[in-house]
Amino acid sequence: MIAQRAGTTALRRVAGKPNAFFTANVAKLGLAQSLSTTQIRPVATQKLTPADGAALLAKQRLQRPVSPHLDVYDKQQTWFGGSIWMRITGSAFSGSLYVFATAYLAAPLLGWHLESASLAASFGALPFAAKGALKFLAAWPFAFHALNGVRHLVFDMTYGIKRQTLIKSGWYVWGASMVGGLYLAFFL
Amino acid sequence: MASIARSSLLRQVASARPAFQQQNVIANAARATAFHTTARRDLLPPLPQHVEGTVNDAAPVPETSPSHGSYHWTFDRLVAGSLIPLTVVPFAAGSLNPTLDAFLCATILIHSHTGFQNIIIDYLPKYRTPRARKIFMWGLNAATAVVGLALYEFETTDVGITETIKRVWTA
Repeated sequence: MIAQRAGTTALRRVAGKPNAFFTANVAKLGLAQSLSTTQIRPVATQKLTPADGAALLAKQRLQRPVSPHLDVYDKQQTWFGGSIWMRITGSAFSGSLYVFATAYLAAPLLGWHLESASLAASFGALPFAAKGALKFLAAWPFAFHALNGVRHLVFDMTYGIKRQTLIKSGWYVWGASMVGGLYLAFFL
Repeated sequence: MASIARSSLLRQVASARPAFQQQNVIANAARATAFHTTARRDLLPPLPQHVEGTVNDAAPVPETSPSHGSYHWTFDRLVAGSLIPLTVVPFAAGSLNPTLDAFLCATILIHSHTGFQNIIIDYLPKYRTPRARKIFMWGLNAATAVVGLALYEFETTDVGITETIKRVWTA
């Protein structure tokens, strides 16, 4: 580093008074090393087949950082937005339907009783608080999924997709689904 | 973003380089690190990578298919739209006759099936996890068939979904 800096400074000094003999013979006399302004990087190359190159690329891709999206993006949109809760409530309902249906088919083989009569009887035997809590746990997702579903169908007809309208309608659906869930659970 | 800069700086420092460049990089790394506030945390680290073709090949564009594209989308919305009156009627009328109940169950089943398909398509893309995608799709088909059979049994040998929910709810 210091040697190259010295080289450029020296060159600047002689640039004002060029000497033809010196310039023509500087390389031959082996003085170019310390006065060179081009980068000299002693580099060794090695042959790589295309397959090796692809393997190197694949290995390098594993070291690339993953962009942190859920951590840093606007949490109101990513964690409370309608879409993800549509997906969560929808898959919760469908998942439990699928599990119940499979269990209903397997019940005779395993000795369980999952007919409507036994379900009603065992649910009725629970304490009031447990019944209310379970009913709310089922009613709120239903209300949310239904109301937000209507909201999304309205979006699909291209109404209400202005940003402020979207945010407001989202919070209305959250409030309405809470009220609806409570009503369905405790007053129906 | 910051983690890219920091790790690449550190990698430069760690690799063998001529002295003057190393001093420069060390000085820069020390100054830049003072601004880094987040630790590097790998959310869902990348899967084992495989390079398809050469780096000069164009990115693959999937072929268009209206039945998997716009017709599927329209079908999705029609099913969802038809579910709205179907779910309101039991509340209004108290219960459903078996035919309408069967219709509601079938529509819910189709709606669940396409919904689960959306989830699988979103989280298991073909270019990244082709085998897992196939397994899950076929598993979903099998599960939907089983659930269809179970709902048929429930409708015929038992009282039906809406009546069951009503009995459990008012128990």
